[in-house]
Amino acid sequence: MKAQVSIVASAFRGGLLALWVFVAAFPFAWMALISLRSPVDAFAQPPLLLAPLSFAHFHQIWVIDGFWRQAFNSTVITVGTVGVSLSLGCLAAYALARYRGAAGFWLLMVALVFRAMPHVVLLTAYKPAFFQLGLWDRYETLIIVLVAINQPFTIWMLRSFFVNIPAELDEAALVDGCTRLQAFWRVIMPVMWPGVITAGLFSFLLAYNDYLISSQLMNGDHMTMTAALSNYMNANDDAVKLLTGIAGAVSVCIPLIFLILFFQRQIVAGLVQGAVKG
Amino acid sequence: MDRRSFVGFVAPSVLAMLLLILVPLLGTAWLSLHESYVKTELAEVRTTVPLFGGLSREDVRRVPQAVRDAAGNPVHVWNFVGLDNFANVLGLDRLGQAMAATPVRIGQLYRDVTSIEFWGALEFSLLYIAATTPCVLLLGFALALAVDATSRRVRGALIFASLLPFIITPVVGALSIYWLFLDNAIVNAGLQGLGFAKFYFLSGALPIRSLIILYGVWHATPFAFVVLYAGLQTLPQDALEAALVDGATRWQRLWLVIVPHLVPLFVFVGLIHMMDAYRVFEPVLVFGSNLYANSLQYMTYRILNTEDNYSKAAAASLLTVLGIVILLIPILRRMWRERQTA
Repeated sequence: MKAQVSIVASAFRGGLLALWVFVAAFPFAWMALISLRSPVDAFAQPPLLLAPLSFAHFHQIWVIDGFWRQAFNSTVITVGTVGVSLSLGCLAAYALARYRGAAGFWLLMVALVFRAMPHVVLLTAYKPAFFQLGLWDRYETLIIVLVAINQPFTIWMLRSFFVNIPAELDEAALVDGCTRLQAFWRVIMPVMWPGVITAGLFSFLLAYNDYLISSQLMNGDHMTMTAALSNYMNANDDAVKLLTGIAGAVSVCIPLIFLILFFQRQIVAGLVQGAVKG
Repeated sequence: MDRRSFVGFVAPSVLAMLLLILVPLLGTAWLSLHESYVKTELAEVRTTVPLFGGLSREDVRRVPQAVRDAAGNPVHVWNFVGLDNFANVLGLDRLGQAMAATPVRIGQLYRDVTSIEFWGALEFSLLYIAATTPCVLLLGFALALAVDATSRRVRGALIFASLLPFIITPVVGALSIYWLFLDNAIVNAGLQGLGFAKFYFLSGALPIRSLIILYGVWHATPFAFVVLYAGLQTLPQDALEAALVDGATRWQRLWLVIVPHLVPLFVFVGLIHMMDAYRVFEPVLVFGSNLYANSLQYMTYRILNTEDNYSKAAAASLLTVLGIVILLIPILRRMWRERQTA
């Protein structure tokens, strides 16, 4: 096959890939570049390739505007969501992978519908209800809401990993006198770590990237980083505030870039998992 | 696994979904059929107005005031209003007027109908699905083929760069594109550097809608690329070699061997993307006002936040859910049939 590849085709291929990499990365690269510049240099005409570096915008947002608080909130929310999501999800997904009855099938169908549901539908009910119940603006509330929203996706993904573990393994454990729970915990979970890590990554992304729910259920000091960016939107006429917002957006990206660097293989596996299983 | 342990294992997860997805959904349905207002009553307010010499006059006025319960909170009254909220969201009265106009001009009718918020939002949501889905699939497939043909050493870096638009927070991704197109930002500076006139991307429906669609393609292509690329790794090598022996050209191999093998993946990616595109929210929020582009989810968000009308938002939500159910029917039917045969 390789022998017949013409020069034109490979040039076209190289051009396409170079263009795509540029288009995919440029918005982020440019954002990172101008967040380190003074307003005059950032919007200079014509654009500058090199300009003096300054951390003024990062100082502004992290120290003066107190973005570290939002970073702390993001940490609490994402760690909480990932932990609870995986605990509930593993139990349910294991049962769904092993149980043959109709109830399991129906549960998966309903989960699929829930997974497709626009989140604002739930928000419409949460707003008045949480306000009445006094559950507004609390870490626990946001965590459990994000866990629930994430459950349909999590159990589908984890189930496809559990299905790949041979049932003989837990049967052997049961014969040896384990209870179901012991078989699950002592025999199945130790070989499930790749699946758990992948599902955990996607839970993390959902909680960390969520804007709609997080910006609505939390007030000022309790907002996550992503939701707090709303404070800096629509500030186009105020170059300093705009650049502060850009510094905030860059800060939000940094953990995600490390996430892709370290877990690229697991992310790809997770994206592909659903496709292969149909 | 027996039924009892199944129930035990799934209980916590099902409970979470029941309490925080199903119950809110039912609550939304209830809200959509009701209308709330704060109960008021006319209260007599007596004020003593000092006159001169130690005399004073008592003023009595009757003013409407919220009725308060024992805890001092205003009492809300919920009235059953049937389908009024739905009629309100759908703009039935204006829809009727638009339909009744004579003579009927299709263009005018279309403009009148889409100027009603719900129909405008539906129009752009569908346009967004229709415009992004083929682009995402084609571009993703082209990238998958191109990456598959490059040497192994650069593949990791290519996949890393490709994942960025998909993994990074949608709000941030949309903002990063938005900021490129500000009136004084890099794209305009570049255009002017090349001798073009300044172009105001962020005023006017057409450029804004195009940018939102551009964002949609940029954001979702990595997903299509990764899945199709994984599909290419599972190609039946013997079929490819047989085609080569039979003297098939590159195009014939592509169309007759590779594409048919990947059809299920195209369907899968297409359906997932349509589901996600249907609830597009972040770019509409970032790129601006519902003046130029609106989506169903953004519309509900706006009703909830700026109109503060829970009942109308609930009706809009349920209409949105109806659309998602219609989109899901083919998938659910396929799952059902697979179960019947298995």
